[in-house]
Amino acid sequence: MQLVAGERCALAASSGLVNLAPDYPSKHFLATQTLDEARHVEIFTQRLFDLGVAKEDLESTIDRYANPNLVKFAEVLLEKVSDGDFIAGVVGQNIVLEGMAFTVFELLEATSRDLNPKFAQTLSGTIADERRHVGFGENRIGSLISEHPEKKPEIEKMQQEMSYYMLATFADVFSASGESIDEGRKLAAQQGADSLSTEWHGADLETATIEEIEGVLADTVLGEFKNRLGRIGIEYQSPSVPA
Amino acid sequence: MSDIAQIHSTPDSEGSDAEPEEPRRRFELEETGFKEVPKRWRKFYRHWKGEGDSLGPNEVICPVCKVVIRSTREFRPGDRVYCMPCMSRMVVVRSDDGSLEAKVTY
Repeated sequence: MQLVAGERCALAASSGLVNLAPDYPSKHFLATQTLDEARHVEIFTQRLFDLGVAKEDLESTIDRYANPNLVKFAEVLLEKVSDGDFIAGVVGQNIVLEGMAFTVFELLEATSRDLNPKFAQTLSGTIADERRHVGFGENRIGSLISEHPEKKPEIEKMQQEMSYYMLATFADVFSASGESIDEGRKLAAQQGADSLSTEWHGADLETATIEEIEGVLADTVLGEFKNRLGRIGIEYQSPSVPA
Repeated sequence: MSDIAQIHSTPDSEGSDAEPEEPRRRFELEETGFKEVPKRWRKFYRHWKGEGDSLGPNEVICPVCKVVIRSTREFRPGDRVYCMPCMSRMVVVRSDDGSLEAKVTY
């Protein structure tokens, strides 16, 4: 559910950025990214149908289960796009949102590889797309931000706000995932646990607690934000920790 | 060799003057199962396998998309590198711990 909500935000943001782009190479890339995001929305929506969501219930189900903090995360980004702020929009979309998605998809792919190879394959294709998206974000904004240093404080504030809502989303999702993760581990044990041990950024996903997985994910994403923003000359701002 | 392949292994003369002038080791690149770029270029990339994986002298990690970029010759500081999966251009530098790493150029 959160994947569909996140990809819908990415679709709205990337399509909005096409007309804001100051040059045609950027417009061309963002148009291809828009197509990528539409495909992601389509495949993750199909997965909801495969899991039993009726087509006529799709919108009401998303409205009901989309995490409110993820919705706020999206609103911060989409406000920059609707204000016509290309640089902030690309940082929010291609560095913050895509940076988060890149790491979350890697974690989901690692946990799905043995138990759900079809979903893992879908995620591999999505990760390949995300590589191009983060690459565009860093490469294009890396040069633009040096021409507009006055934008930095506003962008840093946006990153801090988006990071807060991202951490709040992680906290909500992980606190509600205990049973399903236990269920997955039982299933893994039945299928032959020897082949299912998965290490991810130093955590053994087979034995780590929910809190440990959430902590590793949050640290990895925030570490990536810090590195990516640092490379393009923006100072990473630590978000406050959600209650 | 095509233009893109040449970016992966620039002429020795473009390396740093401080580096020894020993001839570069050459490597046969095998298929790695990396399917995110056209077939012709797949041998130049592989996925990083996480803890327990290590880089060869002809490999650097793309800091943007975390793919391992491979060359037919060992890397030296000053070499220019292109990451086709994320379209980033980089230069190889010597890090503080003595290892080689790729630094993005904008």
